[in-house]
Amino acid sequence: MKNRLKVLRAERDWSQQELASRLAVSRQSVNAIETGKYDPSLPLAFKIADVFGLTIEDIFQRD
Amino acid sequence: MPDWGSPVSQAKTSSAGVMGRGPGFWGGLMLGVYGIVAGLGMTGAVDGAPLYLLIILPFALVMPMITAANRRSAAAASGCLAKGEAQRRYMKRVALFSFLYLVVLGVMTFVLNGSDPYPALRVFLALPPGLAVIGIFWAIGRLMVEEEDEFLRMLVVRQSIIATGFALSAATIWGFLESAEIVFHLDAYWWAVAWFFGLGIGAAANRVRYGAWGAV
Repeated sequence: MKNRLKVLRAERDWSQQELASRLAVSRQSVNAIETGKYDPSLPLAFKIADVFGLTIEDIFQRD
Repeated sequence: MPDWGSPVSQAKTSSAGVMGRGPGFWGGLMLGVYGIVAGLGMTGAVDGAPLYLLIILPFALVMPMITAANRRSAAAASGCLAKGEAQRRYMKRVALFSFLYLVVLGVMTFVLNGSDPYPALRVFLALPPGLAVIGIFWAIGRLMVEEEDEFLRMLVVRQSIIATGFALSAATIWGFLESAEIVFHLDAYWWAVAWFFGLGIGAAANRVRYGAWGAV
């Protein structure tokens, strides 16, 4: 699954650590999701969408 | 808004520890003490039960080392879950059960070597080391239950599955080779050791696949 996490984070000038804190997860989690190594669960995907004020489809796309 | 790496949080990072000392100090102190104990043992200045006691006691320095590392991590993260509460509890539990294991193993070894106790007493002496190792299994299970970060939890579960596969495979192969009298007899508790070794393999596999070692 592809995602726009890195771009969205850069637009807001957030570090991985800062996004991790907003999501209440570890920085490793953000890094793994951002690099496409790990696909988040649906609850975490909704949380990510809420943090960016977007829908899940705006952030995650099929390969 | 949380404080993202402000000078105040950086100052907290540098001062966090135990008694003003960081994990490196406590780890170094433990290694230094073990160096002295090794010297005493090799020169024959101390041996037997007193030497075993000297081997066990410096292990207690693991606790301030872990506490100092946790405080540093918490100060550096400044609110972020860099090292979660579940992992801190896990490390403390593993350190505690490892320490208990060393103590009861020493008691069992010295009593069984020094005398020939009744079978009932032998059971009483032989069970505690196994129970201490079970305590470490329990700590890993609790980590899976308590870890709130789904990615880190997945890494621990993956590590444990790899470790289980490794240990069971090794035990099965060794068992048949032993039946065929190809290899020597191995006491069953070595498969627990193989499982812990498997956790290391699992951590390396996590690192290759996900870029993170996991918690164990």
